[in-house]
Amino acid sequence: MTDAFETAKQLRPGLWETVNERYPGSMITKVDLVPLAPLRKPLSQTRLTFVSSAGVQPRDSLPFDVVHPVGDFTFRRVPSSSTPADLEIHQIKYPTAGAARDLNVIFPVDRLSELAEDGTIGGLTPNFFSFIGYTIDPAGFERTLAEALADAVAAEGAEAVLLCPA
Amino acid sequence: MQRAIERRGIPTVSVTVARDVTERAKPPRALFVPFMMGHHFGVPFHRALQRRVLTAALERLELAERSGEIATLPVTWAEARRQGDAIERELGLKR
Repeated sequence: MTDAFETAKQLRPGLWETVNERYPGSMITKVDLVPLAPLRKPLSQTRLTFVSSAGVQPRDSLPFDVVHPVGDFTFRRVPSSSTPADLEIHQIKYPTAGAARDLNVIFPVDRLSELAEDGTIGGLTPNFFSFIGYTIDPAGFERTLAEALADAVAAEGAEAVLLCPA
Repeated sequence: MQRAIERRGIPTVSVTVARDVTERAKPPRALFVPFMMGHHFGVPFHRALQRRVLTAALERLELAERSGEIATLPVTWAEARRQGDAIERELGLKR
């Protein structure tokens, strides 16, 4: 097996089918494309926010409902000034072996702060956003949580968004 | 989620470890990394790799030309783990 082949291949193939078999109807398929919104300034002047579905939350915030059968359609704000010690993971749908030792592998709060400090990006919004991605009602998820979170991201003054679907 | 944000006029990019899921969900911009689920930015304590994934993803905000494009970072999970192990030995976290 060559490295080039390994590069192109996802580590766990057929994930969409596997998950949709376990949780029928849970996986999204779209046929249309959303027009690209332009980046209005260079990255070095752009205020970034981070949106994560990894269930990372401040230690003193209401824990996500990780056993809700339909899905927890709430989100948490995570101060961008947080350190990994301020945060913990409430989600059971992905391996956290790496994150348990260095949260930056799934929620790179330290690296994002460094990018802001060294001027690679123009800055960070005061808060990042966090939810848990599991749901067996993707249409309901889109109507409620996705719209509410998108509104919150816009209100936060984000000029670009990095997302990490866990 | 990503599509809802982009529709508000804010450019977005995601980092994915599941190319097949991303191909179906059709977010506006994405960077695929062939890493383990839950390890989108690499391995513990490998700051250079974590930063590389981040900057490669953010570059898509400037470089992507068509909605739905999925770029690939030329890395492997095996190599990331080898490098991570070496870093942990240097840091005295692993023998």
